[in-house]
Amino acid sequence: MEANFDPTAYKMKSGLEVHHQIYTKKKLFCRCPAGLYSTHHDAEVLRHMRPTLSELGEYDGTALMEFKTKKNVIYLLDRQSVCTYEMDDTPPFPINQEAIDIAIEIALLLNCKIVGEVHIARKQYLDGSIPTGFQRTTIIGWDGWIPYKDRKVGIIQLALEEDACREVSDIQHTITYRTDRLSMPLIEVVTAPDMKTPQEVAEVGRVIGDLLRCTGKVRRGIGSVRQDVNVSIEGGCRVEIKGVPRIPLFPTLVYHEAFRQHQLLHIRDFLIGKLTSREHFKGDIFSLADQQDRFHHPLIKEAIHDRGAVLKGIALRGVKGLLNATTQPGLTFAHEISERIRVIACLDHLPNLIHTEDHSGLGLDLEDMKLVTNSMRLKPDDCGVLVWGSIEDTQTAAQEIIARVEEAFDGVPHETRQARRDGLTDFERILPGPDRMYPDTDSPPTALTVERIEIIREKLPPQPWVMQEQFVQEGISPHVAHELSTSPNRLLALKLMEDKGVSPKLIAWALTELQKSLKRKQVPIAQLNDQHWSKINDLVKNKRIYREGLPNLIAYLAHHPFDDPEDFLTAQNLLPLPPTVLAQTVAKISEQNVQVKLYKEENRPKVLMGLVMHELRGRASGEQIWLCVQKQSQKR
Amino acid sequence: MDNSEDLKGYRGTARNLLIAHKARVWGDVVVQTTQGEFTGIILPRSETADDQHVVLKLPNGYNIGLRVDTIHKIEEVGYKKAHYKIPEKTFPTNPLKANVTLLGTGGTIASRLDYRTGAVIPAFSPGELYGAVPELVDICNLNTIKLYGEFSENIGPTHWMGIAKAVAEHIEAGADGIVIGHGTDTMHHTAAALTFMIQDPPVPVVMVGSQRSSDRPSSDAALNLINACRTAGYSDIAEVLVCMFGPTSDQYDLLHRGTRVRKMHSSYRSTFRTIGERPMARVSPSEIVYIREDYHKRRRDDRSVKLFPYFDERVGIVYYYPNMKPNVIESMIDNGYKGIIIAGTGLGHVNKPLYPALKRACESGIHVYMTVQTLWGYVQMFVYDTGRDIMDLGVIPTDNMLPEVAYVKLGWVLGQTHDREEVKKLMLTPVSDEITEREPIDGYLVMQGGLPEMDYYFKSYKR
Repeated sequence: MEANFDPTAYKMKSGLEVHHQIYTKKKLFCRCPAGLYSTHHDAEVLRHMRPTLSELGEYDGTALMEFKTKKNVIYLLDRQSVCTYEMDDTPPFPINQEAIDIAIEIALLLNCKIVGEVHIARKQYLDGSIPTGFQRTTIIGWDGWIPYKDRKVGIIQLALEEDACREVSDIQHTITYRTDRLSMPLIEVVTAPDMKTPQEVAEVGRVIGDLLRCTGKVRRGIGSVRQDVNVSIEGGCRVEIKGVPRIPLFPTLVYHEAFRQHQLLHIRDFLIGKLTSREHFKGDIFSLADQQDRFHHPLIKEAIHDRGAVLKGIALRGVKGLLNATTQPGLTFAHEISERIRVIACLDHLPNLIHTEDHSGLGLDLEDMKLVTNSMRLKPDDCGVLVWGSIEDTQTAAQEIIARVEEAFDGVPHETRQARRDGLTDFERILPGPDRMYPDTDSPPTALTVERIEIIREKLPPQPWVMQEQFVQEGISPHVAHELSTSPNRLLALKLMEDKGVSPKLIAWALTELQKSLKRKQVPIAQLNDQHWSKINDLVKNKRIYREGLPNLIAYLAHHPFDDPEDFLTAQNLLPLPPTVLAQTVAKISEQNVQVKLYKEENRPKVLMGLVMHELRGRASGEQIWLCVQKQSQKR
Repeated sequence: MDNSEDLKGYRGTARNLLIAHKARVWGDVVVQTTQGEFTGIILPRSETADDQHVVLKLPNGYNIGLRVDTIHKIEEVGYKKAHYKIPEKTFPTNPLKANVTLLGTGGTIASRLDYRTGAVIPAFSPGELYGAVPELVDICNLNTIKLYGEFSENIGPTHWMGIAKAVAEHIEAGADGIVIGHGTDTMHHTAAALTFMIQDPPVPVVMVGSQRSSDRPSSDAALNLINACRTAGYSDIAEVLVCMFGPTSDQYDLLHRGTRVRKMHSSYRSTFRTIGERPMARVSPSEIVYIREDYHKRRRDDRSVKLFPYFDERVGIVYYYPNMKPNVIESMIDNGYKGIIIAGTGLGHVNKPLYPALKRACESGIHVYMTVQTLWGYVQMFVYDTGRDIMDLGVIPTDNMLPEVAYVKLGWVLGQTHDREEVKKLMLTPVSDEITEREPIDGYLVMQGGLPEMDYYFKSYKR
């Protein structure tokens, strides 16, 4: 079934949220140094997160779920990288203005409009990933676009926000976070749901990544970029796949999520077909503690004997077939349930359930099945689930299982999911709504003056797609033009080309292909600055050296950045040969090899060309040599 | 149209713009600007903010400010005024549980944030508190009385006397314990005042607040309130206590005696500390562990309270600094002050140029008492000549009374008598540990980062 699934047939839509840390000296709301990570810690604090009441006097779905888990949250504190702000024992300091300037620059590059006044909001997260229980975030720009294929992909907004903690472990009721990354400034680029195929999501992700990197003001390296991918199909709903580290993973994840939604819609129809509506569904919870010793299944035995667990049964009335229904390739609806109770009831010792529809051979044997059927009074159209753990956790789990089946009558629940390595996804939490946003009463609004925005606009680097177009017009191949327009050398290339002394193709080659090949040979290219490149450009322009001589010269300069290249060329005898000497050299080499027999005699000029080039190491251009070689051949 | 509620916080240019477009706060609007079109709700503006922006709440929950000079049209398509309502659930009563009365003075011990404005709406009735902190039901039967709605910095002697009377009234009416919700800034002033005004109470009087308001998921409010209710209902200490976080971690609260407690950090959760003594007890949702044994015990057979609701407001604190000029003291004399508390340097000193002014103050009948700005330690004015000279002027040392406590006590004493000897006797006779005879060896513990033993402490105990 999977092989035939075509997401576009179900009006798949996908959008991206790209989070990228930016380069600032200090963090966003305190004066701690930015980008200082370590695995050392000096102290810990313990906190709990309580849901706060929403505007309508109700708890937000995510909030309630996270409160159900009753987690002890431990923060590891490293003296070097955190202060009392990160501990939530000091209110925020004024927002980092350097970060605002960078965010404005990126917003302008994304063709966004800039807000008149920055208002800081709190976005609630009760998973403990931020000690305050909320992330401070603010919109800097909105309503922008980036070009993609022959259309524009909308940018809904660009936000500036503080980064969260790094999770160290999450075992049962204790979750531990490292705080060094907390409050690092990052920007969030939110695209409109304009991508229609899994492949497009990856391609748009690359366009955005290229743009952000070209500013030189975003951080690189592991953990500096995280992407959330939003997916929905017709009749489904927006599901967020959180924290995808690498773009190549996008298409598979998007494809599988579209497939999962399609399957959940099937399951909805299946359930409605059986029971007409969720009101007719009933789940019963049974304590099986007094019978638990009679079970044979090794998982149950181990849990009861080794971990002191109690057994609980949940009868799902009238929905036989549900647990076995496919949701993702190789996974069934039972997996959806298992994931929910792993997160919400803290039953994280997997597998955490067994059900009556597991026919894989790992399920219940006949006697256990009989025991389950009798103790939960299962009718032929019912199915049952067994869970084990503490009394409180199994009770939470049982209620959650019933709640998840009820949700299945509505199709696709609003969820945040986490990416697995195999391209499938696991449940992470319920997707929060706009109700979790509220103003940060600790921070005053900041007006962004027209002057400030204009100063940044004047210094904007060209966008990669604009530059690529310019390079193509200069005659550079689209492939190289793309590479150059997104490389750190992009502005240098532009400057050298403006000089018009050297062919743009040669410049593009030197700054892309040649650099890469020298790097592979461990040449320390980073030692060369813009002045070095200008100098090299002048040497080429003044015909002091030819393309063929560049690798030697550049390698030498990289190793000896304070030497004068002219001295090197003189000392190494690399300056251009006068035409007469060139002709003599060609004649000499031709003579030396006259005895050599060739398989095809007509290739002789080409062979001679190679030999001469090797001998001259770039002291003449290939073109000049070729002319000489041809003359020589005609003489013979 | 020029209704102040409809233009709340807007002034000048922004106000005129809203009036011109017949737009108002809470209006669900479509705004046309040179930057494009926006939909959202117009929010009230902070009165201290400029008059060049209109604040809009976007449908995704974010707020942004739109520059007035970019707006050319505002069209109201709806109106969504925030409704300030907290869900009420009937607070169940159980005859087996203690009856606790919660007196509110304005601290937002339980509250929620209005998502549209950011305003904090206090939860106060039992039903509201039950909605916000459902654990309370398992602890006690709750009765709530709203006395005031003041930020803690605005609480003063009138409130202290009002609270004291209300506490006495509710104890006499049969409460098993009193909890007072209070802002944290001046909680220790109020705690000291209540200690002097309500003497020999039969039940605990527990002050509580929060350092992180309860609209934040990481708030300390709920745990403080739970612990305060447990203390009021079940602890054996019938005194005025402050119940606030012990460590910054969510572990337990400390119970501090009202006369020895002080707020020591502007923002930490564990800001309240007992100075120069050990706290009375620690309390968590599961237990109360007594640290000291010399406390005033709960009585179950009577309901009598000795009430002394007096205060003379003509009292001030002078925080001495090098080169202080005598005119600081002189202006207090000339303005009719009757009592001055000096927070002196070291063992209780001020500079020589102040002597004539202090002499004049004492001679004109002003009661002048010396405390130490070091907070820890005793005033000792015999060690140096300076101290003896100052005492000769008529300045009286107060041992280890905290400056704020001395201020509150002097006002309270002067509310009862102005007789010099009587005042001195009352000042120097402790009601409840405002002066202690001895400082325990672990009464002064200011941890110092960088000491090897502190590094060891952090490494071993982590919090």
